[in-house]
Amino acid sequence: MKMTELKAGDKAEIISFKARGEIGARLISMGLVKGTRFKLIRKAPLGDPIEIMLRGFFLSLRLSEAENILVEKIGHSHSS
Amino acid sequence: MKEYKEISVALTGNPNSGKTSLFNGLVGRYLKVGNWAGVTIEKYEGFLKYKGYKIKFVDLPGTYSLTAYSPEEVITRNYIIEEKPDIIVNVLDGANLERNLYLTTQLMELEVNSVIALNMYDEVKAQKIEIDFKQLEKLLGSHIVPTNSIKKEGFKSLLNHIIRVHSGSLTVAKNKLFFSGEVEKNIERLTDIIKCDQNLANKYHPRWLAIKLLESDQLTYAAAKERVIWLNIEKELLDIIGKYNDLFDSSPAIIIAEDRHSFIRGAVKETVQYPSEIKKTLTDHIDSVLINRVLGLPIFLCLMWLIFQFTFKLGEIPMFWIESFFSFLGKTVTNIVGQGLLQSVMVDGIIAGVGGVLVFLPNILLLFLALAFLEGTGYMARAAFVVDKVLHKVGLHGKSFIPMITGFGCSVPAFMSCRTLKNRADRITTMMIIPFMSCGAKLPVYILLIGAFFPIAYAGNILFAVYLFGIIVAILSAKFLKTVVFKGESEPFVMELPPYRMPTIKAVFIQMWIKAYMYIKKAGTIVLLASVIIWAACNFPVNREINKIHAERTHIVQYNQMLNDAQKEKQFIEFGRSDAHSAYYDTLQSLENIRLSKQLEYSFAGKTGKFIEPFIRPIGFDWRIGISLVAGLAAKEIVVATMGTIYSLGANDEGSSDLADKLRKDKKYDIATALSLMIFVLLYVPCLAATAVFHKEAGAWKWTGIYISYSITVAWVLSFAIYHISKLFSV
Repeated sequence: MKMTELKAGDKAEIISFKARGEIGARLISMGLVKGTRFKLIRKAPLGDPIEIMLRGFFLSLRLSEAENILVEKIGHSHSS
Repeated sequence: MKEYKEISVALTGNPNSGKTSLFNGLVGRYLKVGNWAGVTIEKYEGFLKYKGYKIKFVDLPGTYSLTAYSPEEVITRNYIIEEKPDIIVNVLDGANLERNLYLTTQLMELEVNSVIALNMYDEVKAQKIEIDFKQLEKLLGSHIVPTNSIKKEGFKSLLNHIIRVHSGSLTVAKNKLFFSGEVEKNIERLTDIIKCDQNLANKYHPRWLAIKLLESDQLTYAAAKERVIWLNIEKELLDIIGKYNDLFDSSPAIIIAEDRHSFIRGAVKETVQYPSEIKKTLTDHIDSVLINRVLGLPIFLCLMWLIFQFTFKLGEIPMFWIESFFSFLGKTVTNIVGQGLLQSVMVDGIIAGVGGVLVFLPNILLLFLALAFLEGTGYMARAAFVVDKVLHKVGLHGKSFIPMITGFGCSVPAFMSCRTLKNRADRITTMMIIPFMSCGAKLPVYILLIGAFFPIAYAGNILFAVYLFGIIVAILSAKFLKTVVFKGESEPFVMELPPYRMPTIKAVFIQMWIKAYMYIKKAGTIVLLASVIIWAACNFPVNREINKIHAERTHIVQYNQMLNDAQKEKQFIEFGRSDAHSAYYDTLQSLENIRLSKQLEYSFAGKTGKFIEPFIRPIGFDWRIGISLVAGLAAKEIVVATMGTIYSLGANDEGSSDLADKLRKDKKYDIATALSLMIFVLLYVPCLAATAVFHKEAGAWKWTGIYISYSITVAWVLSFAIYHISKLFSV
């Protein structure tokens, strides 16, 4: 599934992503690579962008960027 | 004098790693701020003397990586490669090692002499994270010193390490990061080819160059392309990249990045012990309120409102002091040197010019105090997060919001606050639309015109409509600029939401002072010069004929008064100052006003007003408005003052009812003219101070040129439309 289909509180692992160029480089340097586990913390008040937690820090990205990232859901926890 | 041995040190690290507070703590007051060549990113340098060494520090911009995509990254890597500092201090946020080490792996590839400052060590201890320093040092090939930049802990140890690593008395074997099978072979093969070119291999570390080429790094491509050896390199590269694409549907760049991350993950697993139970941090709690889906927007808007009030309402008080001081100074100088050209140069030219620059200072200080505080706490990133969707619709970035809001107060600080936008296209576009946010100085113009031509009942609505019109033009302009001028150039919104922290007072004040200093130094000189030029344009050439007639008329009035006085001497003593006497002064004043009006008409500004009349007639203006618009380039309030002068009412009555009366009674003007003029003043080039700051922040004449011609064009076209549409309705 796409990262954009996750809900707040979902935990998932990155399977692959297609972004190239600057966006790709930015995602990579922030640690969004294959195998990375993360948790979707929340969506912004207007629904976009989203906030995820990975490797112990918080990152926000737009839906348009998250759409290129394929993930596999591995769990859910309510306490966001 | 004691001889100091010099060591050059560059600080690198992620944004929010505490790098800047470490730098501030180390160099103290020996701080120099400049700009990196060609970009609007501040360059901080400083030095300190320690144990017979003069250690020079450069604070490189905060980066997460060393790709060639952002100017910060390019500055950092070019500095390391070209300036070859003796020691690199890599500042890490100890509580967030995994992400911070990504930059470290890239510094390892450059094989530089480095010392790692494991910063925020207090947080590491508070979170009960345990780190095996010895093993981590071995893996990273660099010494690690725990530091706490807020409490200045570990500084001595860091300095000792710098000196000892520099002198060679302390060494640690550099560790090489090996990549997975195939990639490693590719790197080695490319390295061998590169080594054939002595010059290239001397300038760049060959292995690093090979890695960067495999990552399709545009800057290294450009550097290698200049060499003959490029033919061999290119052949090999195309071969490798093609193979990855076909076989793995991937690229060497991705595999290299994944390998770096696996190395980091392995290293962290081996050396860092996290507590088994991870508690919710303070940041989690704050964020669950501050940016939650219901309260996020209202809280954000509330904070913006507070910043605005803080900057402009609170700023009014010192602004009033500054204005009073300069008007007092003006009067004092007038009393000393007497009326005349010298007085005019000093009072209307120089004192007014300097005052015009300094009057913005309270706004700048207060705004940047507030912004530095919000940035330091970490809320700024949240603000962008909350509001990004709205701005993204018109192609802008969430961070554009604060400059735009500030624009309603004054464009000068608004332009300066655009520096938080890292992407050039986002920054320039935001700067281009800021002037359409109607600033405080334009208000007197609206008040005058609305008062003159509209019934009181509609006044509020008309004023609101003008502001709204500006916002709409801004939005459409952003959309236009982003789709036409900056096609496809947009910053990806991949942004860290850093943990909330209390910024140190010192750091906040340093940020504030730097902004104020830069404003005074750069904009101050240009604005002062420009004010004097505009003053000259309004006063020269002097028409002797006008002065002669004025002198004759004044003389007649004075002579008559003398006769009167002689006759009525008796009554004088009985009743004190008579009506006849105050009428006498009024007559003298109105004669002086007529002289000023005639002189202004005769001046360069007046001639320019007449010269541009054919261009502004289609939008309903005559030469008198033309002069006011020209003079209004110095500052928008001056539009009203100049109209006062032109109508022989004296220049000091901003928005006075006399002037409104005159305008209303003037056959040439009607509601259509008033609307057109309001729209034109709203949209045309803002004042000189703002334009000077725009030029400095945009950094190229090209942008300043586009900005001036764009705003004038938009102003003219829309005023034209408004003028003719309202003419249709009013007939």
